[in-house]
Amino acid sequence: MMPLTSEWLGVNEKIMNKLKHFFKSFLLWELLVGLKLTGRYLFSKKITVQFPEEETPRSARFRGLLALRRYPNGEERCIACKLCEAVCPALAITIEAEPRADGSRRTTKYEVDFFKCIYCGFCEESCPVDSIVATSQMHYHFEKRGENIFTKEKLLAVGDKYEKEIAANRTKDSAYR
Amino acid sequence: MIELEIDGKKVEAEPGNMIIQVADAMGVYIPRFCYHKKLSIAANCRMCLVEVEKIGKPVPACATPISQGMRVFTKSEKALAAQRAVMEFLLINHPLDCPICDQGGECELQDLALGYGDDLSRYTEGKRAVDDENLGSLIATDMTRCIHCTRCVRFGTEVAGMRELGTVWRGEHMEIKTFVGKSLTSEVSGNIIDLCPVGALTSKPYRYTARAWELQQRYTIAPHDCLGSHLNVHVRRNEVMRVVPRESEAINETWLSDRDRFSYTGLKSEDRLNQPMIKQSGHWQSVSWEVALEYMLEALKKVIAVQGPEQAAGIISPSATLEESYLFQRLLRGLGCPNIDHRLRQIDFADQDSMPLYPGLKVKIADLEQQRAVLIIGANVRQEQPLLALRLRKANLKGAQIFCINPIDYQVNFNLNQKLICHPTLLPEMLAGIIKAILVKQAIEAPTTIAEQLKSIQVTEQQQAIAEALSVNQPSTILLGAIAQQHPQAATLRSLASLLAELTGASVNLLTEGANTAGAWLAGAVPHRGAVGLTQDKLGQTIAELFAEPRKAYVLFNVEPAQDCANPKQVTKALQQADLVVALTPYNTPYLQQHADVLLPIAHHAETSGTYVNAEGEWQSFAAVVSAPEQVKPGWKVLRVLGNLADLADFNYTASTEIRDELQGMLANHSLKVAKQVQPRINLAYTKHPLTRITEWPMYRVDGLVRRALPLQQAASHDSVGIRINSKMIEQLQLAAGGLATVEQAGESVTLPVILDERIPQGCALIAGGFAETEVLAESFGAITIHV
Amino acid sequence: MTNVCYRTLQFDEPWTLEAYESVGGYQVLRRIMQEKTPCDQIINELKEASLRGRGGAGFPTGVKWSFMTSASQGAKYVVCNADESEPGTCKDRDILRYNPHQLIEGMIIAGYAMGCTSGYIYIRGEFTEPFARVETALQQAKAAGLVGSNILESGFDFQLETAIGAGAYICGEETALLNSLEGKKGFPRFKPPFPANVGLYGRPTTVNNVETLASVPVILEKGAKWFLELGKPNNGGTKIFSVTGHVNKPGNYEVPLGIPFKELLELAGGVRNGNKLKAVIPGGSSMPVLPAEIIMETDMDYDSLMKAGSMLGTAAVIVMDETTCMVKALECISKFYMEESCGQCTPCREGTGWLHRVIHRIENGQGKPEDLDNLVRVAKNIEGRTICALGEAAAWPVGAFMKHFRDEFAYHIQHKKCLVG
Repeated sequence: MMPLTSEWLGVNEKIMNKLKHFFKSFLLWELLVGLKLTGRYLFSKKITVQFPEEETPRSARFRGLLALRRYPNGEERCIACKLCEAVCPALAITIEAEPRADGSRRTTKYEVDFFKCIYCGFCEESCPVDSIVATSQMHYHFEKRGENIFTKEKLLAVGDKYEKEIAANRTKDSAYR
Repeated sequence: MIELEIDGKKVEAEPGNMIIQVADAMGVYIPRFCYHKKLSIAANCRMCLVEVEKIGKPVPACATPISQGMRVFTKSEKALAAQRAVMEFLLINHPLDCPICDQGGECELQDLALGYGDDLSRYTEGKRAVDDENLGSLIATDMTRCIHCTRCVRFGTEVAGMRELGTVWRGEHMEIKTFVGKSLTSEVSGNIIDLCPVGALTSKPYRYTARAWELQQRYTIAPHDCLGSHLNVHVRRNEVMRVVPRESEAINETWLSDRDRFSYTGLKSEDRLNQPMIKQSGHWQSVSWEVALEYMLEALKKVIAVQGPEQAAGIISPSATLEESYLFQRLLRGLGCPNIDHRLRQIDFADQDSMPLYPGLKVKIADLEQQRAVLIIGANVRQEQPLLALRLRKANLKGAQIFCINPIDYQVNFNLNQKLICHPTLLPEMLAGIIKAILVKQAIEAPTTIAEQLKSIQVTEQQQAIAEALSVNQPSTILLGAIAQQHPQAATLRSLASLLAELTGASVNLLTEGANTAGAWLAGAVPHRGAVGLTQDKLGQTIAELFAEPRKAYVLFNVEPAQDCANPKQVTKALQQADLVVALTPYNTPYLQQHADVLLPIAHHAETSGTYVNAEGEWQSFAAVVSAPEQVKPGWKVLRVLGNLADLADFNYTASTEIRDELQGMLANHSLKVAKQVQPRINLAYTKHPLTRITEWPMYRVDGLVRRALPLQQAASHDSVGIRINSKMIEQLQLAAGGLATVEQAGESVTLPVILDERIPQGCALIAGGFAETEVLAESFGAITIHV
Repeated sequence: MTNVCYRTLQFDEPWTLEAYESVGGYQVLRRIMQEKTPCDQIINELKEASLRGRGGAGFPTGVKWSFMTSASQGAKYVVCNADESEPGTCKDRDILRYNPHQLIEGMIIAGYAMGCTSGYIYIRGEFTEPFARVETALQQAKAAGLVGSNILESGFDFQLETAIGAGAYICGEETALLNSLEGKKGFPRFKPPFPANVGLYGRPTTVNNVETLASVPVILEKGAKWFLELGKPNNGGTKIFSVTGHVNKPGNYEVPLGIPFKELLELAGGVRNGNKLKAVIPGGSSMPVLPAEIIMETDMDYDSLMKAGSMLGTAAVIVMDETTCMVKALECISKFYMEESCGQCTPCREGTGWLHRVIHRIENGQGKPEDLDNLVRVAKNIEGRTICALGEAAAWPVGAFMKHFRDEFAYHIQHKKCLVG
């Protein structure tokens, strides 16, 4: 009896592989394997999202367009402490302030340059009155130069529009703050 | 010297020092709130508790004198525990409103809370709330934030000499309040803003407008009085946001007058001139600088060529910088016109040749504290030089005797040992009485010039006492203020003061107008002397003559003629008939629109570099803190270009420092020899009017900038324009206090409210200058009539 | 029983000059004026008698006086602190009412011994009747040449005046008293400098309690040894105990120092209604409270009480029986200190209010478990960090109540009601 050397085994294996390959290609075996996967996904639940008609869910912490909020009684929250302006790493926020007629500290100018904004959310972190917040809005565009600078009125309008969502998101996140 | 150890470091110090002083000197910081180096020690905040070996309880570093071998631990466990405990107590009733507090970012409590405070409050009870005080238009209050360090109270009682704030109630109900609910009237009240370690007292004009971290700090010199206080101007985006003092032991210590602190609010006045303008056939046109300068120079040259150089005159503000004054006089003299003056409010120039190189203080400002006797003549010291008054108060507290001779019984913040209040025309006589008292006492023969005049004078006991005090207590000082220098017999007063000084060994000191009277003299902005006192071939005429005999051309530099000059009526008349009036001015006022032909916008002192020479002769240079708006240019640059256009030699300066260096060089190579006054110009004779007008320029009406500083105007509402007169005179003239009356002077009349003021002597009425309402009136100490 | 300060009580009108002179009053003064007794001798006598300040701190009077003799020339003052306002204390009031002359004599002797030119008796604002008595006595003494210029022809001048406060507890603190006397707000001054160096109007001043000064003539009359032997070593003489609270016979008892508390309680007729004794504050409301089991074993003198964990203070013995709610008691005390804090320095101004509010909350059933530790902590934080001793006065009771009766507080918090009913 001949010893089963590795050489002998190797020769045999080569021949077998060639045979396997021949039959597999002849019988479209791999196509069937592939179609099996296709078939599985054909009948499983779809995960593709039809953007823009459909959107993926966003975290409550998503940092999109900035907004200025109001209190339920309609009073603007911002007290012109300028912490957001100070903390902003992109120098996107510009604030000017003076006493309002009722003696309270209010901004006369609150501008965010969205070309500069890097959506880091530091402004929201620093705000002692939850006035400046990052909404989950991410679909917006500017058509003309200058529109990138949001004035106080614009920011407040954004806040007013999405207040419900903003409030809901803050509530969701409140346990971790 | 005592040797002690602080935090393991050995140190030597003079006995009597407190631990905190030694620690400060060696750079060891001990937290504190109530301690301030310029105030008395209260030891009430307890923040500076430190551990001292062999003493059981922690001791307050601010109130514990050092002793030999003392071992102090400022950061030991025991010290820190005490400091943290105190911080907790301070914070329990302090509101958490840092975000809306103006002090936020520069708050001593906030800073120290970071180091000594806890992250969580263990105080769950209700917090204290305190009603705010209305302290007027300069200081905003949020008394809930007060930590009762009493720095403001101590400042009032000790430094300002006005007990306007005090503590009322006790325990946790203790409050800082004004005693009778009125606003602060002290002219240095703004300092309590700096002193307050929290946001209880903050600046009202600055309120909510900026944050400490946004501001850039730039250095300049105060532009309103002759001390030249050092300022730190806080700037944001090329806008002056506020002014705070910069410490300078020699001049303003750590203080600042309200005028210097809040006058920046006038920088943004609505009537700012931003474009060069010329008037052509009655219509004003904005033009380019080139056009305006060419036009102005041509017109001026024409007047000089056609009418003669004596027909032109240059009037410059005593608050213009040294460089501006120097170039101004060089320009006019270069064009051949020697008529240059800056002494806007003076009337009597009889002794101008015997004046020193520049008038001012012989004594250093800081040395005023060391004076043993002070005689004030014709000065409302507190209003004219608020910080100098604080020095006098210090001297007074150290035992100096202070006397005054004034036409009005001015309120002062020190004790006057004697006060001679008299009709303004009698001021020289009052002073002569003191001289006579000395002559008699020392049995010296009177100088021939006044021997005859002295004969008729009766010496009172008061005058004797003053004479005695001035000669016995050395060093002694004579201060001549604005009223003395604006007096019709100013030369006599100055001569008498010199004579008195000679007899007593006192020094004569002049409290000059504006920020740079000394600089104006040095720069040659006087008709009889050139720069650094150089004699002139062509002597000019004084401002009084320049307006009394109207000229054909006037060049005004930062002057509002009708409000800044001694005789507004005369000035207006002169300007009206002139062919050319050029005003280099920061403001476009209706008055200038009416009377001027060319308006050239020049920068405020905050927008220009330059030098002020203060009354003690200190040259203090500064750079611009903000850039000038629009077409506005610094005055020295305008003058330089004018010099170039006029083809004058050596006018190619590229920086204001070159001008200063040139003057300094001239001064080093030249010394003025003033002929010793052989014959003092003393003339006690006077004409007494039935009713004399006394004119002073109230504290906040001295120059264009303060006149536009709204908060200061509101603060000085009690100083409003009117006929101030005593009750006897009111009765005599059948007026009604609070009602209106008409003043007539030199054919002009104006109707003003009558204000009862018992400080005014009989036969006089105080009608202030510097107001639009009094622009029509004439000379400062002239005759008036008043009727309903 | 030996009376020192209440020597004249047996008379119908004990406050008169005659009554006082009949028990030997002003004899010591006459002797001193005649003999020109050296000042040192008087002071040494007081030192030997171990007379200690009766106002609360118990500082040896002789030593205090000796600080003055070395002080500078010029005006010096002796001031009598008759602003007796420690809750529970009324001993000085009765001296002022019934024996004002002895105080006056003591003042003059003090003035003589310390080289003072003038003296003031600063009387509590609410003491209208005592004030009138002292004023009358002073006029009598002046008329008799005992006070004023050239006293008893001796050449010694001593001006004595009365002054009346406005009813602030803090003005019983000596430096606040001096400020009040000068017409300023009653804020304590920071020490050093001590009044012996910089006192009234910036001059050296000694402030002594009424009882201390009133004891002086008797000591000098009968000798230091006699006085010392009345009490115990280092705790010489008699002391007036103002026994108040739940006893059958509250009142002032002048008894030798060192009397066991048991005996004092018996003198005062024992605890009311035969109730069980719960606690005693032995020295006025600012001193630490002691529970029955400790105080019953303690002698009433400076050193013994100190050992027991409290202090003799003004010797106002406040007795509380088993029906007392300790939370309520502490609430009363803490309210007093909150109201009486002058407001000058931070720990006391802010801390006294904090303490009271927390205790008030506990008393009203709104306490929280963490309040107890917080109370102790806040009290500790006030203690030793204030300008004057009011900080300690407010902190010590809290510390002691919490130490001995913490359970009762905890019960209050847990059950929202009193342990005792």
